[in-house]
Amino acid sequence: MADTPSVLVIGGGSTGCGIARDLAMRGVDVTLVEQGNLTHGTTGRMHGLLHSGGRYAVADQASARECIQETHVLEDIASHCVEETGGLFVKRPEDSEAYFERKLRGCAECDIPTEVLSGREAREREPYLAEDVDRAIAVPDGAVDPFRLCVANAASAQNHGARIETHTEVTDLLVEAGEVVGAAVRHGSGPGKRTHETAGTTERIEADHVINATGAWAGRIGKMAGVDVAVRPSKGVMTVMNVRQVDTVINRCKPKGNADIVVPHETTCILGTTDEEVADPEDYPEEQWEVDLMIEELSKLLPVLQEARTIRSYWGVRPLYEPPDSGTADSEDITRDFFLLDHADRDGLPGLTTIVGGKFTTYRMMAEDISDHVCDRLGVSATCRTAEVPLPGSRDERVLDDAMGEFGLTSPVARRSKQRLGDRASDVLDTEGPNPVICSCEGVTRAELQDAIEGSGTDLNAVRIRTRASMGNCQGGFCAHAMAGELHPEYDAEQATAALDELYQERWKGQRHALWGEQLSQAMLSYALHATTMNRDGGALDPTGTGDADHAVDFAAFDGGASDGD
Amino acid sequence: MSDADSPHDPGVPNDEIPDDEFEPVDVFPESELDLRSGADDCYKCSTCDTNCPVAEVDDEFPGPKFQGPEQWRLKRKDDADIDPSIMDCSNCMRCDDACPSDVPLSQMHNEARAEYVEEGMSKLSVEYWRNRILANYRKGAWLGSKFPRLTNTLANNGPLRKLGEKLFGLTAEREFPAFATQTFREWWAERGGAQVQSEDKRVAYFHGCYANYNTPEVAKAMVRTFEHFGYEIVVPEQGCSGTPMFANGMLDDARRDAETNISSFSELIDEGYDVICSCTSCSMALRQEYPELFTIEGTADVAAHTYEALEYLRIHEDLRGALGDAEIDGDGEDLAYHAPCHARNQGLDRQAVELFRDLDGVGVEDVGDSCSGISGTYGWKAEKYEKSMAIGEEMFEEMEEAEGQTGMTECPTCAMQMEHGSGYEIRHPLEVLEAALVEG
Repeated sequence: MADTPSVLVIGGGSTGCGIARDLAMRGVDVTLVEQGNLTHGTTGRMHGLLHSGGRYAVADQASARECIQETHVLEDIASHCVEETGGLFVKRPEDSEAYFERKLRGCAECDIPTEVLSGREAREREPYLAEDVDRAIAVPDGAVDPFRLCVANAASAQNHGARIETHTEVTDLLVEAGEVVGAAVRHGSGPGKRTHETAGTTERIEADHVINATGAWAGRIGKMAGVDVAVRPSKGVMTVMNVRQVDTVINRCKPKGNADIVVPHETTCILGTTDEEVADPEDYPEEQWEVDLMIEELSKLLPVLQEARTIRSYWGVRPLYEPPDSGTADSEDITRDFFLLDHADRDGLPGLTTIVGGKFTTYRMMAEDISDHVCDRLGVSATCRTAEVPLPGSRDERVLDDAMGEFGLTSPVARRSKQRLGDRASDVLDTEGPNPVICSCEGVTRAELQDAIEGSGTDLNAVRIRTRASMGNCQGGFCAHAMAGELHPEYDAEQATAALDELYQERWKGQRHALWGEQLSQAMLSYALHATTMNRDGGALDPTGTGDADHAVDFAAFDGGASDGD
Repeated sequence: MSDADSPHDPGVPNDEIPDDEFEPVDVFPESELDLRSGADDCYKCSTCDTNCPVAEVDDEFPGPKFQGPEQWRLKRKDDADIDPSIMDCSNCMRCDDACPSDVPLSQMHNEARAEYVEEGMSKLSVEYWRNRILANYRKGAWLGSKFPRLTNTLANNGPLRKLGEKLFGLTAEREFPAFATQTFREWWAERGGAQVQSEDKRVAYFHGCYANYNTPEVAKAMVRTFEHFGYEIVVPEQGCSGTPMFANGMLDDARRDAETNISSFSELIDEGYDVICSCTSCSMALRQEYPELFTIEGTADVAAHTYEALEYLRIHEDLRGALGDAEIDGDGEDLAYHAPCHARNQGLDRQAVELFRDLDGVGVEDVGDSCSGISGTYGWKAEKYEKSMAIGEEMFEEMEEAEGQTGMTECPTCAMQMEHGSGYEIRHPLEVLEAALVEG
């Protein structure tokens, strides 16, 4: 064993990145592997709510207390990922008065500050609220960008010496002499930054301890070492509106139910959600009725949603877990608490710990718990510092108010750039050459894209989650190709084209659930533009004749054009 | 406001608002409107940008798509920083006309500009006060018209104009429009008001500032022509339409005058009057900008009953028949006609050409669909003058190539620009109509 104990973290979601940062800060030699890009699994598919704990204040007070505590921590250490929007629990006339009072009492019991508002006061804060909303409880809910938070955790881990490998799939766990000693992995395009059109490689990564932080995929990883982790994945739909109808989180004040929350997220609002158990976290139906349900139910709180434009919908799977023999029938009733499964104690298999369940808001606390546990196993005495040391980007809170100039950008673009980049803004935006806006929906400039490309190679989806480029109303119609253009000259045309194809597919995946009204017009315009200017409806240009003859453009079929003159 | 009150214009009942109509609400402080939802209609086609006359001559100007839907979509409740480039928008409103998807572009621009002036512009700056005075032209005109000859002499004194440019940012290139020695309202009072009484043909005249103080001959032509057709005319108490105030981000000033106008005219509408304007920007303000920007009771009524003068006569009278029988003295005078952008937005850009086509003794030639470039007070600002002239270049060239040496347009500031760029005398269609029907 080397002097420095080593840990392999499997899973690049909020938990995995949080663990990687925590352990790296304690001096552990950390490698993190993720099968897709960071946040590929559940983290990238949540609704962006930073829980005050209000939602759990009646049914699960332990979780509620953790939430309010961690929300305050994140406001400090991740200020550039968090927007302190505040939240409302709104009550319609048909909702129970008794539950409203219980919610209020529950919040008080969990030290969640509240303020009771009349319907009128609530509408003064959020004028789009339905006219018959009769009361509301204000709580300190917030909005969080899970992408930025994960990437910041990973970046911090890297700064402390961790190795982060995305697009790296675990093909097997290495078990030697009854102990897990590492994993066999396949790198999608060789180790290091993702580079399209580069051959994959395999690698054996050995470690003193392996942490399975793969959420809904934890059962699959467990099986590789012969242990049973009964995750019960449960899907939920989220529908993204084109603009912010509200600037406050709106919860419906009633016991658990579908379609009861609207979260202002960056330039959009996200409607959520459903809760339905699925067999496979990667293969489940995405059905239109689920989207319809979001709009129909939440229109009771915000009637404007009925007519408002949606730009996409996506589904996520919760990594719900309950100890064997709990026997809960309905996935909504399964606890949101997290479980640390030490396979040495549980299955007689040392070297492996699994973490399942839990909530995004308390990711840091979960990471601290599991890091404490693993450090204990490895004999590392360093303590956790993740609650005190701000993440990269959040180290200097003055940035937004600071008169540090607009970097030659228009005010809203400068403001949004600073909100996304935090204290990294001047490093990233103070560039030599021209710095045009590439994604005009979200106000993302070349400099910010180049910074993201530096961090994630040719993976334009990773660039997207770092910058929000292509996440606005045109869903990449006006910028996806320009983003791909930014890969040149460092990467060649084939690599840029492959990266663009992948981004297109990802953007289309969510947008196809929003094809009516304005978004249908948008999709048609994007289609027409890309078909007519880049021949994207006609297959590859193939002058050498080696490709698919059915789709290649037959230039010989064109004549020389009509002769000029009358 | 009671709990049952809806957030939209109280003048319009809930069930009368069509589902697909964009409807802003008060979200931002001090009755600023939340126009973020207006971005829902934008699919970024950029037709507005390609139709923007400022963007065409100024590469630095980010264009109407940015100023409108993009800037609004990026906004959060607490954000106050509107980009200063909003002040380079001339408020020609061609983007409204160009948009294939009903994005409320000029409304977004007007609100953003007002917010910028309120939050971003120093109230002590020369620019603010220059703009404030330009926007409140009516106040200065009121004073100037008390001593028209003195004012006219001083205003066009060369050294004084140079000083005005240096100290105040008013271009010295332009000659100030002369004040009439008798205002339209003085003339109206002197003649004893309406000379025709009618129970069923009644119009209330919104003359605006320019026809009152500077070109009363246009207002008189309106009166004589409408009386010729048997209309009873009233000239009620009124302020500025607000057009120069919108364009300078002075929405509070505009609201003050709009309150006067709406109260004055909505009462008359109840008595069976329709509202007639002789300036296409004034009619634009009453019809479109008031309902978009204000929630004053009676706004919707005034908007629905407002017409441009020629438009109204074309709807209600057999103007072509009347003109077919008429002729104008003179030997086939040719008029180079420019359609103002604001007339274009009201669908009026072809009316003068169509109307005078069959009138003997006059020929009308359309000088094309470009913007004149002056856009009210815009072209009067020293820093905008070059831009204004660059935009107008296309129109000047067309005028140069046109047969006639006289211009015609409905808009007083377009007329200034036409005269400034070509040296032609500029007439108003109402004057031509009067010459053909009343004098002829």
